[in-house]
Amino acid sequence: MRTSLNEIKLIDEHIFNNGAPADAVLFDAMLVLDPSLAEQVLWQKNAHAIIIQYGRKQLKTEIASVHERLFDTPTFRQRILNLFK
Amino acid sequence: MAQQNNFSSATNRKELFIGLYKKAFPAVAKYISKKGGNFHEAKDIFQDALIVYYEKLVNGSINLNSDEQSYLMGISKHLWSKRFKENIKYAPFNIGEDVFIEQDNLTPSSDKLLYYLETTGQKCMDILRAFYYDNWPVTKIAEIFGYSGVRSATVQKYKCMEKIRETIKERSLAYEDFIE
Repeated sequence: MRTSLNEIKLIDEHIFNNGAPADAVLFDAMLVLDPSLAEQVLWQKNAHAIIIQYGRKQLKTEIASVHERLFDTPTFRQRILNLFK
Repeated sequence: MAQQNNFSSATNRKELFIGLYKKAFPAVAKYISKKGGNFHEAKDIFQDALIVYYEKLVNGSINLNSDEQSYLMGISKHLWSKRFKENIKYAPFNIGEDVFIEQDNLTPSSDKLLYYLETTGQKCMDILRAFYYDNWPVTKIAEIFGYSGVRSATVQKYKCMEKIRETIKERSLAYEDFIE
């Protein structure tokens, strides 16, 4: 794997705290010595946040289609709507 | 991070939601109705509760054998009371479409950024979603996205992360209020 991809892997391990202990110590040292690495960590955290936002948006669409499907069934629809009369 | 879960296909996920809807929505709707809420509020609250439930399920905080109905009711009650308090405090006459999931604290510009990423890098977003949001096993991701094996799927994950990260960096100059 090329160096930049390996760096992404190490940053992920740092964010999720799931790397080998020796790698984690080395990474912490690199963070101190290289301010641009700390910046990359922040951008990668932003990327994770936007992936979660994307996942939730997609999931909402999937759930909405389940809702539509169930509410096409008259008995289920009526059962629920009766609760709001 | 990624752990094995049973929802490694959209079909499995759909079946899960249909089951949960049938089991838990009537009780949640009854509760919201009793509290003075309307059908649309019950629907919004329940759908947000399903998202919270799904995320806890795929990250291993709960398992499928726990009492889903009680769990979803608990989350819904919490979301309802949160929404009620916030509406009293900030917008008593305007019930919006907000998603009341606490971890979601991105700024409005993240919507623009997300739209940009969806239109320019959908495939990468889908792969990254499968890895980081759905926690699908890498073997399944390789199979579904057509990679020859675990290694090439993993390399693709990091390539996509690099692409998305760089795009966010570039676009953030344009969307100044996008911050962590």
